[in-house]
Amino acid sequence: MMAGERRRGFRLRSAALYIATGTALAAALAACGSAGGTTTATVAAAQTETLKETGSSLLAPLMGDWVKGYEAQTPGASVTAVSSSSGTGIKDATSGSADIGTSDAYLSSGDLVKKPSLVNIPLAVSAQTVIYNVPGVTGNLKLNGTILAEIYQGKITTWDDPLITSLNPHAHLTGTKIVPVVRKDRSGDTFLFTSYLSTQYSNWDATTGYGTIVNWPHLPVEPTPTGSTGVLNTCKATPGCIAYNGISYLAQALQGGLGEAQLANYAGNYTLPTAATITAGLSSFVSLTPPNETISLIDGPAPGGYPIINYEYAVVSTRQPSAAKASAIRDFLTWIITKGNNPTSAYLDKWGFQPLPSALVTLGETQIGEISS
Amino acid sequence: MTATLPATTPPAGAGTGAASRPAAHRAPRQPGRARRVLLDTPRKLWALLLGLLALSVAWGVIGGLVANQHAAAADSLASVNARLTFDSRHMYQSIADADATITAAFLASPTPPLRLLQRYEKDLATAHDNLSELQSAEGNPAMGPALASLGAGLSAYSGYVAEATAEYADDHPLTGGSFLQVASEEAHLTLLPAANDVFTKENAQLNAASGQATGYPTIIGLLILAVVTGIALYLAQRWLYRRTNRVFSPGLALASVVLFGSVVWLLAAFSGARSDLDRGIGHGSAPAQNLALASIGVQQIRGDSVLNVISRSGNASFSDDFAKTRKNVDTWLSEAASAQDTGQGSNGAALVAAAQRDTTAWYTANSRVYSLGMSGNYAGERALVVGSVPGNTVTGYNALEGDLSAALKADQDVFSSAVASGADALDPLTGGIAAASLLMVLGCGWAITRRLAEYR
Repeated sequence: MMAGERRRGFRLRSAALYIATGTALAAALAACGSAGGTTTATVAAAQTETLKETGSSLLAPLMGDWVKGYEAQTPGASVTAVSSSSGTGIKDATSGSADIGTSDAYLSSGDLVKKPSLVNIPLAVSAQTVIYNVPGVTGNLKLNGTILAEIYQGKITTWDDPLITSLNPHAHLTGTKIVPVVRKDRSGDTFLFTSYLSTQYSNWDATTGYGTIVNWPHLPVEPTPTGSTGVLNTCKATPGCIAYNGISYLAQALQGGLGEAQLANYAGNYTLPTAATITAGLSSFVSLTPPNETISLIDGPAPGGYPIINYEYAVVSTRQPSAAKASAIRDFLTWIITKGNNPTSAYLDKWGFQPLPSALVTLGETQIGEISS
Repeated sequence: MTATLPATTPPAGAGTGAASRPAAHRAPRQPGRARRVLLDTPRKLWALLLGLLALSVAWGVIGGLVANQHAAAADSLASVNARLTFDSRHMYQSIADADATITAAFLASPTPPLRLLQRYEKDLATAHDNLSELQSAEGNPAMGPALASLGAGLSAYSGYVAEATAEYADDHPLTGGSFLQVASEEAHLTLLPAANDVFTKENAQLNAASGQATGYPTIIGLLILAVVTGIALYLAQRWLYRRTNRVFSPGLALASVVLFGSVVWLLAAFSGARSDLDRGIGHGSAPAQNLALASIGVQQIRGDSVLNVISRSGNASFSDDFAKTRKNVDTWLSEAASAQDTGQGSNGAALVAAAQRDTTAWYTANSRVYSLGMSGNYAGERALVVGSVPGNTVTGYNALEGDLSAALKADQDVFSSAVASGADALDPLTGGIAAASLLMVLGCGWAITRRLAEYR
């Protein structure tokens, strides 16, 4: 059973290619139709199933807009989206209590082995920001993996630590105590941030490692909010705070007076998460992405790339209880990766996400095609 | 000694009595009856000859076939058992070990020690060799799809590991790590289930071959044929005896003695072979099957613990699977222990006992892996799984696998020796029964043709 359910992308490449070619043509038609502002043959038939989505709080604002757009364009469509966490998204999609789980992290091998019918399908390209609340500091502080790891290990405790000041000689840094914010719920943001620390600072990998949940080193003050909104509000309310949060909350963070760090990438260059740096960071991973689309995009080799980027995933079972449910899920996900990713639609831009490259759309459509009853 | 049939003289009074009857009526009847009598006896002799020859030849052909079938089944038992305990189990072990080794190697360091890379390469080469052996062996066609999956899956698997290795070499451990995850998924979702499928089917084939080598139905059928042939020889002897003035037929006596001798030989050889094969199965292949299952269980526990470490982005825990598989491994080991050959020179029991002892510490180490994983202590969990701290799972795993492999080898030796002995008992039987059949044909032919000669 397991092997049969999971062979898909690996051993049916010819069939997948065939399907992919067909679906790519359909996607191209959809894109053209959308760009021209007219409906095309890819407009979905009326849906009668109500879909339930839950998961990534980072993706939640964009998902909300997608749901509105999809429901407006698809007669009878109904999607309930609930912001929770990546861990909840994976758990609920695995148990079947949600039709679609969303996650900032790809499915683990363990989850796939436990439930081989699951697939993870990228919906958009995201980035993680490091924000801080340091009174008096303007501009973007430069930070790297070593500094961040030592802050979260409790080794660097004030903002005027020599490691920080040496990187930011012109910044007005005082002895304000650093308050690192962590998430203790199963969080895709934690997975991305600790992945970055692990790759940039070997001691972090050796002592703490990375995951959706980690055994954080003991810190004297350790606010542990839940969800991206909780992180944002905690940081706003805590002078000296430093936190990691999804790019979809960046605008609110900046409006709230928080700073945004430039992060060191693999080449040692400091970059902010812009459309150009995210796209540059992604470029080296597109051709590497395997058929099941499981890949870490952290700290890629591009000299101008932003180092903490990721695919935002939909976690779905390929075995649905009914043909109608399977059709509704296929239709919604296809809409997201085609119309919902169309640069002219402004869904992504509003929240700082970047569209999937066409190769990823093709891989995604192949995986979506496997969802059946 | 000459046996002479009674002269077919005309019936008494045939000439005188005839005068009182009309000649027109008597003349055609008299020669007809005599002719019939004259003709009937040779015909009966011919029929008897043909019947006895048919039974003798049937004894040779069917007896030879049955003996040959049992001898072939014993040989097949040996080859299926070898495939089961070596090729299919080895293939599973090699794939599981390759995956656990390469994953743990990169978990330990982005530049793993050469010995671990070599172990991975060796495992992969062994899996390919075992697969080739299984593909070229005459066997169960139902295994075709699983073998095809393994062929395609092994290339995909090694491709993903190669991608991972290249990413690690380029100093991109996270990308390398995600390729290792994809490789592990291929191993756990495609390769290992297919290897297990092959193992299960080989197991079923071994049981069928055991039944064929030691089964009674064909032997009982052959004994019925021997009884029928013996009765036919006895009746022929009696018939000839009554018609030969109580003269004994040495040809038929020879055929009877040869038949009796070959039946005794058949029964002795079959009983001896059956006893050998039963011993080989009971103390060799049956415990070896349990050890092979235990070995697969050990591989599953090892593979799951590595998966547990690398699954950093999900919710899955293999703690429950560990508890379940551990229980099964204990059962298989205990069944293997109770079936060991306790004869002199056999060390299987000691090796299984060593494996049972080694499981205790290894289970404890694995339990620690899961409790560290549950508390998010990734570094501690990883250190136990990659073997960099005392009380790790790797040392125990290597010791346990060593015990199991040695115990399997001991059981395999018991089985091979018993099967060889059984096959030796059966092998000459085919030729012997064919020779007996030939002697019976000659004896019957000689006896009956001599009687027929008296009618020429």
